[in-house]
Amino acid sequence: MSRKLKRSILFWLVLGPFAVVALFPYAVMLSTALKPGDEIFVFPPTWLPSRLAFENFVEMWSATGFGTALLNSLLIATAGTVLSLLVAIPAAYALARLRWHGQGLYRQFLLVAQMLSPIVLVIGIFRLMAAMGLVDSQWALVLAYAAFNLAFATWMMSSYFRTIPKEIEEAAWIDGATRMQSLVRVFLPLALPALAVTGIFTFINCWNEFVLALTILRSNEKYPLTLQIFTLVGGAYKINWHHVMAATFAATVPVAVVFALLQRALVRGLSLGSVK
Amino acid sequence: MLDRTRTLPALLLILPSLALSLWIIGYPIYDVVYTSLHEVNRFGRVRDFAGLANFAKLFADPIFFASLWRTVLWTVTVVGGAILLSVPIAVMLNEDFYGRGIARVIVMLPWAISLAMTAIVWRWSLNGQYGMINATLFQLGILDGPVEWLASFDTAFPIEIAIGILVSIPFTATVLLGGLSSIPADVYEAATIDGATGWQRFRWMTLPLMKPFLQIAIVLNVINVFNSFPIIWVLTQGEPANSTDILVTYLYKLAFRYGRLDTAAAMSLIMFAILLVFTAAYIVLARRSEEKGA
Amino acid sequence: MLNRRLAMLASGVALAALSALGSAQAQEKTEIRVIVAHYSDQTMGIFGGMEADFEAAHPDVDIKLEDVSWDNLQQRLTTDIAGGTPPDIAIIGTRWLLDYAANDIAEPLDDYMTPEFKAKFIEAFLEPSVIDGVTYGLPVAASARAMYYNKDLLKKAGIAEPPATWDELVAAATAVKEKGEGAYGFGMQGKEIETDIYWYYALWAHGGELVQDGKSGIASEAGVKAANLYKSLIDQGLTQPSPTGSNRQDMESLFKQGRAAMVLSGPWLRGQIKTEAPDLNYGLAAIPKGTVQATYGVTDTIMIFKDSENKEVAWQFLEEAAFSDKNRIAFSEKEGFLPVMKAEAAAPEFADDEELKAFTGMLPYAKFAPLIPNWEAASDTASAALQQIYQGQAEPEAALTEAAAKIDELIQQ
Repeated sequence: MSRKLKRSILFWLVLGPFAVVALFPYAVMLSTALKPGDEIFVFPPTWLPSRLAFENFVEMWSATGFGTALLNSLLIATAGTVLSLLVAIPAAYALARLRWHGQGLYRQFLLVAQMLSPIVLVIGIFRLMAAMGLVDSQWALVLAYAAFNLAFATWMMSSYFRTIPKEIEEAAWIDGATRMQSLVRVFLPLALPALAVTGIFTFINCWNEFVLALTILRSNEKYPLTLQIFTLVGGAYKINWHHVMAATFAATVPVAVVFALLQRALVRGLSLGSVK
Repeated sequence: MLDRTRTLPALLLILPSLALSLWIIGYPIYDVVYTSLHEVNRFGRVRDFAGLANFAKLFADPIFFASLWRTVLWTVTVVGGAILLSVPIAVMLNEDFYGRGIARVIVMLPWAISLAMTAIVWRWSLNGQYGMINATLFQLGILDGPVEWLASFDTAFPIEIAIGILVSIPFTATVLLGGLSSIPADVYEAATIDGATGWQRFRWMTLPLMKPFLQIAIVLNVINVFNSFPIIWVLTQGEPANSTDILVTYLYKLAFRYGRLDTAAAMSLIMFAILLVFTAAYIVLARRSEEKGA
Repeated sequence: MLNRRLAMLASGVALAALSALGSAQAQEKTEIRVIVAHYSDQTMGIFGGMEADFEAAHPDVDIKLEDVSWDNLQQRLTTDIAGGTPPDIAIIGTRWLLDYAANDIAEPLDDYMTPEFKAKFIEAFLEPSVIDGVTYGLPVAASARAMYYNKDLLKKAGIAEPPATWDELVAAATAVKEKGEGAYGFGMQGKEIETDIYWYYALWAHGGELVQDGKSGIASEAGVKAANLYKSLIDQGLTQPSPTGSNRQDMESLFKQGRAAMVLSGPWLRGQIKTEAPDLNYGLAAIPKGTVQATYGVTDTIMIFKDSENKEVAWQFLEEAAFSDKNRIAFSEKEGFLPVMKAEAAAPEFADDEELKAFTGMLPYAKFAPLIPNWEAASDTASAALQQIYQGQAEPEAALTEAAAKIDELIQQ
């Protein structure tokens, strides 16, 4: 047996239990989502449905307004991420490249900002949004998500930026480029993987956020997915689990696929900064 | 040229971020501080200045202390568990083996489901009568009657911790993996030639090189887990008899179910203070170890 | 009254003028925000029907429905009000109404209601929304609770008649346990919303009251008796195992699957059985008696906010659309609630419904949630004490006494 094969067997034995637990929710979602409605509450419960009830997905799609919610989630998360990056990039650049008074202070400010979770401040945030007339506006979420992810994004990007050799930029200046030109033409392209990774992290946070969306949005047609699905579960007299699971499954699989495609880039991006 | 102190341009660069956070986060903080010092009714109408009465109310509340203690337990076990599991996972994923690509995807999978949805799926899986956990245990012959996993603290809380760990692993492992893959391969090769065993390599090379990444992972996880709401809220709502309440779930009940916005605001501040102390301690420790390293 | 008529006339003229301008100012519609509690996946459809009716008659009004789940309703309303953006209309639990009235949030409706309109309601259901003689809301959903029993299971256990008293219930549950082939005798609820209510049935049946002389009555003799009764049901295995793991839906699914012989629930369960378990052979009976007959009567209230800028229009929506005979019948029938208006009760959907009498017959004995401040906190305190008792972590009397002391503090604030 080759060393690699031995190692592979050993690793999979160790990773196996974790893989089972990680895949378990997906199996549950699929199993329940494909059960006909009258087989959900059967005792003893079984994994396999008597037939594959694909109609659950169709019913769920219209019952939950799934398409709209999906679009909303995409829209809000993308806008939040973009805004967050736009604001964080110059700050991260300042932290990584310049020496200035108050740098340490700003660093600590970021850490403190990172500690605040929206749930702790939710009433205050709501009042603020109300005062700005942004209740029931998706822009309120975009602003809030950008603000709450800002610290992490700045922090993360500045550590990457620091690993991009200064000489490259300096070379550009010698070639007659202004600071701004070198920033846009030389520095940012080099930092692109870091931006991508930070962007993905931020996007996931926005995509998953729940409490603020619940507090600020009012119209169902503006709800993102998490909220729309939670409405099916929270406090109803009756829960259609097959619809709920179909919805969670449909909401999750696209993200999982994106992960599968991006995982290499994600890890490479995380390490890239440090590669000399 | 780069090493000159350049405060003005730097301030211009950080200005947007400062403005955004002071605006969106700063105002709510002010609002919470103000609320915590006043008597405020269910609907946010401010009545009288209350001094520290809201804090006093909390300190007289046994559920608050029980939740505080449980929050510590929750944070320490979830973060500890996530780190302890993520280190070997990241180390493995960094090595070359058959199916590594799939393994990396699997490790990240829990991340793809939002926390609230994960919790909903687990809640359904844990249903004593119809859930898939028990279905599996029945079929394996381990159980012969329904067991309600969420019916008591003794089973519910460990399960919540386990789920907390599960959902924290993707982020933690990714950060650590990023750190690992930034260690140049030639360092290892040199060590292997010197005859270092796997464990020695890990203990004396990998671990120290990973240290900054471990620190980031710990700090961010502590902050996230301490504030984590959906898992416990969806699974047990702090029940039975408040035995699985942590600070955030109790805070939510105080504010939105019981309408005690003022006491809840006081609690927010206490939570904030706890995290502040933790991070301050972290900064001091990190700085000290940095000095030692240098 | 005259003022109100004038106001209506004036607003009618204004509305007519507005609609004349309609084409020029299409966007200048009066917007009415309605927060709708999510009773089931059908709720929004039914309210959508009301919206369509009203907008057809009033093209200048835009009704905006907002679907909110019961779990999030309080939070949503609290933040809305705290942020100064309350809706025009909302459905709330009647038990919360006192807070809304006391804080000047709810608009008194007496001046809007004509005597004819008021007379359309069944008096008992209008009453819970009346505080100190002022009507603060209309009953939008009403239910009384009754006992559902599985005829087949009881027959198998050799029980001919559904139990009428708690002693008989214990005996029947014991028989079901012995001969029911794994079915549970009595379905018990032990977590989440209404955990305490499920126990109040027994408290009331033993002559207890939730509030006596401004103090909590849960630790009374009746309360201790009721708690001991439930605890012994659990200990003897007459309920499903670990009831603190079962919320209302869990307990009800046991019944729907024919795995619990008796449960206490509201009329909505009938509707669910009709669609999900049409073959279930079940009957309805009164909640068992202890020393007295009692049930829980509950209404949800639809209210208008004092800060609404279009209270007249909001009221018109309620009077003309939400409480039109057609829409009321559709709502109560589809959601499985009791009729709150006389016209509904007379409609064939309800009048010809024999089973419904199990609920309506209980109405004279119905206890409504007392209008006390901090209802939710008091209710959670009672539930927590019960959960400790059910789990065997505390003695009934001690736990109830402690909880009662806490509740006293809450309701005297």
